[in-house]
Amino acid sequence: MGLISGILMGMIMGIALMAGWRHMMRRRSTKRIAKAVDIKLLGSLNRDDLKKICGDNFPEWISFPVYEQVKWLNKQLSKLWPYVADAAELVIKESVEPLLEEYRPPGITSLKFSKLSLGTVAPKIEGIRVQSLQKGQIIMDIDFKWGGDPSIILGVEAALVASIPIQLKDLQVFTVVRVIFQLAEEIPCISAVVVALLSEPKPRIDYTLKAVGGSLTAIPGISDMIDDTVNSIVTDMLQWPHRIVVPIGGIPVDTSELELKPQGKLSLTIVKANNLKNMEMIGKSDPYVVVQIRPLFKVKTKVVENNLNPVWNQTFELIAEDKETQSLIIEVFDQDIGQDKRLGIAKLPLIELEAETLKEYELRLLASLDTLKVKDKKDRGTVTIKVLYHQFNKEEQLAALDEEKRILEARKKLKAEGVIGSTMDALDGAASLVGSGVGLVGTGIGTGVGLVGSGIGTGVGLVGSGIGTGVGLVGSGLGAVGSGLTKAGKFMGRTITGQSSASRRSGSSTPVNSIQENGGAKPR
Amino acid sequence: MGFFSTVLGFFGFGVGISIGLVAGYFLFIYFQPTDVKDPVIRPLVEQDSETLQRLMPEIPLWVKSPDYDRVDWLNKFILNMWPYLDKAICKTVKNIVKPIIAEQIPKYKIESVEFEELTLGSLPPTFQGMKVYSTDEKELIMEPSIKWAGNPNILVAVKAFGLKATVQVVDLQVFASPRITLKPLVPSFPCFAKILVSLMEKPHVDFGLKLVGADLMSIPGLYRFVQELIKDQVANMYLWPKTLEVPIIDPVKAMKRPVGILHVKVLRAMKLKKKDLLGASDPYVKLKLTEDKLPSKKTTVKHKNLNPEWNEEFNMVVKDPQSQALELLVFDWEQVGKDDKMGMNVVPLKDIPACIPAEEPKVLTLDLLKNMDLNDVQNEKLRGQLVVELLYKPFKEEEIPKGIEEGQTVQKAPDGTPASGGLLVVIVHEAQDVEGKHHTNPHVRILFRGEEKRTKPVKKNRDPRWEDEFQFMLDEPPVKDRLHVEVISTSSRIGLLHPKECLGYVDIHLSDVVANKRINEKYHLIDSKNGRIQIELQWRTSS
Repeated sequence: MGLISGILMGMIMGIALMAGWRHMMRRRSTKRIAKAVDIKLLGSLNRDDLKKICGDNFPEWISFPVYEQVKWLNKQLSKLWPYVADAAELVIKESVEPLLEEYRPPGITSLKFSKLSLGTVAPKIEGIRVQSLQKGQIIMDIDFKWGGDPSIILGVEAALVASIPIQLKDLQVFTVVRVIFQLAEEIPCISAVVVALLSEPKPRIDYTLKAVGGSLTAIPGISDMIDDTVNSIVTDMLQWPHRIVVPIGGIPVDTSELELKPQGKLSLTIVKANNLKNMEMIGKSDPYVVVQIRPLFKVKTKVVENNLNPVWNQTFELIAEDKETQSLIIEVFDQDIGQDKRLGIAKLPLIELEAETLKEYELRLLASLDTLKVKDKKDRGTVTIKVLYHQFNKEEQLAALDEEKRILEARKKLKAEGVIGSTMDALDGAASLVGSGVGLVGTGIGTGVGLVGSGIGTGVGLVGSGIGTGVGLVGSGLGAVGSGLTKAGKFMGRTITGQSSASRRSGSSTPVNSIQENGGAKPR
Repeated sequence: MGFFSTVLGFFGFGVGISIGLVAGYFLFIYFQPTDVKDPVIRPLVEQDSETLQRLMPEIPLWVKSPDYDRVDWLNKFILNMWPYLDKAICKTVKNIVKPIIAEQIPKYKIESVEFEELTLGSLPPTFQGMKVYSTDEKELIMEPSIKWAGNPNILVAVKAFGLKATVQVVDLQVFASPRITLKPLVPSFPCFAKILVSLMEKPHVDFGLKLVGADLMSIPGLYRFVQELIKDQVANMYLWPKTLEVPIIDPVKAMKRPVGILHVKVLRAMKLKKKDLLGASDPYVKLKLTEDKLPSKKTTVKHKNLNPEWNEEFNMVVKDPQSQALELLVFDWEQVGKDDKMGMNVVPLKDIPACIPAEEPKVLTLDLLKNMDLNDVQNEKLRGQLVVELLYKPFKEEEIPKGIEEGQTVQKAPDGTPASGGLLVVIVHEAQDVEGKHHTNPHVRILFRGEEKRTKPVKKNRDPRWEDEFQFMLDEPPVKDRLHVEVISTSSRIGLLHPKECLGYVDIHLSDVVANKRINEKYHLIDSKNGRIQIELQWRTSS
């Protein structure tokens, strides 16, 4: 009896114990999970959440901007800056110099840093935004501002003129850097990093140029040339959709997906323009059109003389890399003795195009693409174009990529041989059907060589062969003039320091909005 | 009889409770699912006031105190990266643990130990605020508040004697506020040499540990005991001032301090190739050490000479004899335009034997090349030869400035210091917000017992850095003395107007330095608006 009741009691006890344990387990488990949920919720609060939690005691110092502020990072950065500056100088020198070489403008034979120190003022990070638009990718936008006091001296060599040190002063960089992290399932979990500058808002890079112990006028137009170089590098290398892809940490990954590739072809017919502004004193404007998607590949129509309603009917093909963000830039110029004047500019975002359908657009010409700067609402006429966008398939894409590489290779070769001054020129020269060097001097040299299609090249070429000092000097002069005769004209008159910045801002090659105003108008 | 019945009763109870426990185990625990579900997370706005009440103690620090910064972008970043991080970490852990298990198993007669499940769950760690401290030392200090309340599932199955037992860790929660110090700061990437991590308070740890399905941690009392045990263990190791030190780069190397001097004597060149159209070339030699920012050195130009004799001597400071190399370039001087390169060669410094006792220089005859590309056919062309004399003298051990600890612990005074006295070291680091009315090219003048020392001037800078060190040898401690520090700007132009300007001064009593051995502080400058100057003072004694 005792045994059975004992067993029964024991069993009940045992089961009860277990049941109790399970109850405890459940309770603790739910408690832990609840806490985990709380922590997760509190990990990313927004304004409404915080309002709800805090009620009336909402902390005044908290705000939720799109770009989150990172005061702590700035504090650390400013402390670390002297060391970073020291360490970065060598790295920058090594990585930027080849770039300068690649985008070096005509008329300058060598462009190198002779001194580079980043100064004492650390950059500020105004804010950081993190988003993930695509699986396996994290996009980090860093609002970056740097109004530093770096001391950058460029050693500029123009044909036969010995190296002129040119100082870059008051450098200011305001831009949003987009960093895309491609994730991987191996430590360190990031297989590649893509760096680019967001095109909206536009990167702003300002600086003043000053010749050290000399005068900027020694090489006419040099300041504009450097501006052009900087702008070309920025817009063609860094500005979204152009990007730099850096593979990270030994993981063999296919980064080709991240690289910028030709996406489609734009067949574009420039039909005509109407009601152009008359810029000439006598007669009417002699308009021609320069079209580009990337500044490295731009094309030019013939010049229709003395006509404000010109008809061109010329067809070009341009390659587009990123339909979402790229735009077609159409500039109308008036050919002139001296500097060609811009009659207007128009922009057609590629995203507005419908693939595989021919469509006609009539675009209004504006004074500038930067709406901040457009003051006059004067009518500048319209330009009519027909556009057909063709999306590449895989094979066509590869072919286009090869073609692009081939063109660049060929240009590099030409450049190495000293035939052309810069990679930027070649297509221009080749594409300009008229090929008329503007101005008297330009034509003279241009026809003199003809073959090359670039007057500058000649100047350099002559010098390169080194005929003699006297001749050489003249040659170099001509070379420079050939490249930027008109600029020289406008430039010579100005004093070196104070005004160069002012004129740069107001003048032709404002870095921000219109990179190639000059480039297009250069007499070649 | 009654006794017998009672004994039987107890015996029965014993048996019964065992049966009961087993039955209860199978009834309630064994068939419980072992997988971990993702918790259901409802947005905060929908929560009722009760849950909000529960949230209160967990409100992030950045909400509570303004000196903590919000780092939502970092949280978002980690959140997106977490699935990848999870897989990567688990894979690595498995790879590391496997060989260890394989090695240990035979000893314990266990058939196998396996991870049946290994995942860190869907909830990533979150940063609930970031605080940084600024000190005058060469270091960065930050204090993130990290909370990880995750839902990991780590299930280890052990098989032995035909039986299988499982150990499972679930619901791991770790809250900690580590202090991360990066120091010392060095001028080469990643710009710091060491990472020091230590915990400012005991971390909070909580988890469920299931042994064959039953959570041990829910036995009353045991959880607290285990938690305390873990906290104490961790605290013993990493609670401040104890630290975990992770070296990143060798600080001495990263500082790039000079370690020796290279004496170069350019003797002559022979059979140089003619470059000029008219007459012979005008050669000169450019010397440069690689990885050095200093401008290159040049010999004189020997006009119209293809076999020039220079016999010119140069001294170059070597920072890393293992990787640096001496570049020798022969140029043809041109009156107009760019000088032509006639040839070059490179001598890696590690090829020059360091001759410490013997003062015998080594004479090298180098063939001049077009470039350093070995495969370039153009290098086969004869371009002449260059004869140089090289001698590398490394600094003797005591000459090398002591590594990085210098700033942290005060060194002993050098030999020959009077017993009662010592060495007063003044290091002028930097100044901030100094501004002159007419010009700001500040340098610092130090006045001590009539002795005057000055730093080099920094041009046009309101926040100059000098990093200059001065020493005063003293017979007795400077208890009653003062140090006069003055920031002076000198005009860069030669002019009679405003040649000199005082940007501020400060007098520092040295008695504190003697007592403290080392003081590194920012002093407000007198006669200056907002100017401050950072000065480090050390009192080195022989004892």
